[in-house]
Amino acid sequence: MPHKRFFLFLLGLGLVLGGRVAWAHHSALAEFDPSQPVKVTGTLESVVWANPHVWFFVDVTEADGTVTSWGFSTSPPGSLMRRGITKEVMRLGAVVNVEGARARDGSNNSSTRSLTFEDGTAVLAPPEEGQEGQ
Amino acid sequence: MRIWWIGSVVLAAVLGGIPSYAQSQEDVPRTVESRPDFTGIYTAPATVNGTGPRGNLIFNAPNMAPVKPGAESLLYVPRTGNTRVDEPRAMCLPAGFPSGMLYILPIQFIQNPNYLVIIPELQHAARIIPTDGRPHREGIEPSYYGDSVGQWEGDTLVIETINFKRWILDDYHYTDPTKSRWHSDALKTTERLHRVGNTLEYRITIDDPKIFERPWSQDFELTLRPDWEQLGLIEYTCEAYNRCAGGDCSEDGPP
Repeated sequence: MPHKRFFLFLLGLGLVLGGRVAWAHHSALAEFDPSQPVKVTGTLESVVWANPHVWFFVDVTEADGTVTSWGFSTSPPGSLMRRGITKEVMRLGAVVNVEGARARDGSNNSSTRSLTFEDGTAVLAPPEEGQEGQ
Repeated sequence: MRIWWIGSVVLAAVLGGIPSYAQSQEDVPRTVESRPDFTGIYTAPATVNGTGPRGNLIFNAPNMAPVKPGAESLLYVPRTGNTRVDEPRAMCLPAGFPSGMLYILPIQFIQNPNYLVIIPELQHAARIIPTDGRPHREGIEPSYYGDSVGQWEGDTLVIETINFKRWILDDYHYTDPTKSRWHSDALKTTERLHRVGNTLEYRITIDDPKIFERPWSQDFELTLRPDWEQLGLIEYTCEAYNRCAGGDCSEDGPP
């Protein structure tokens, strides 16, 4: 029964977040776990401008001084470009704040709910349902 | 003279409301053969009177015909844990038709006297549809996108597609991760395309006699976006960097 309840919770969450995963070529719920939110601040180290999703990698310095690399998945290149977000917008070396949901396999990979530069410029905010590329 | 002038104004006012439909027909750009010209890049189809989450991108249950007794298991496939079955597109397998049409990315139409070519940005899987009156091909293996032929009924292009292999029908699993929704190999689709101004009215009829009691239809609209012409469609190579496919983010993970 607890298992069933957990599933219903996930299903409900999926319905609520329906619009937020609309950009994926897959159902993001299969790969990323909304119950494990990720929120990091770090340095934008690299961008893989490729299909089916653009990925970017952020180095995060932990409290003990070690550096952890986090990978973030976002929209495909075409969707970003129609929203005016080109590869050049993703400035390497910039300090960024990123939020998303962690990969289900527990690795340091995540979906992207938002990407904000240190000066407050919000680059990636999820498009609303049906507004891809607007 | 004055009466004539007033009469003309009244007549124009009376007729003004009548020919709006005809006028919208005339407003549509036409090919040299006087067919409506569908050429251009459009938004993804949006459901007309859609209901429910992701109502714009999946078939809505209220539109569907009743499922035949015993055919429920053909329509709904319980989640297996194998992404190649549960969600083939996530593993870069073909989206197929109609699923590949019902997606959030733009769709380009290219038209000449003999063909309409429909290219969704998703997977760039072009549907090359003869419109010169030829019949369906014979001796072709069933396929993900089926075999399409189109014919004009006035200003409406009617596309009939048959010879499908059994494949996933739409993105139903986005709303209910416990199962996916499939069509059978008996599927026949009929699409009706009608342009009004910069809107492409699009009706698809699903006739799947192994699953449904009768054919059923859903209406969509696509909006022409001339402002997307300059950028054009962007390459969509799913295999390029399909990281975390199926939930496996490891270095040696799929694909």
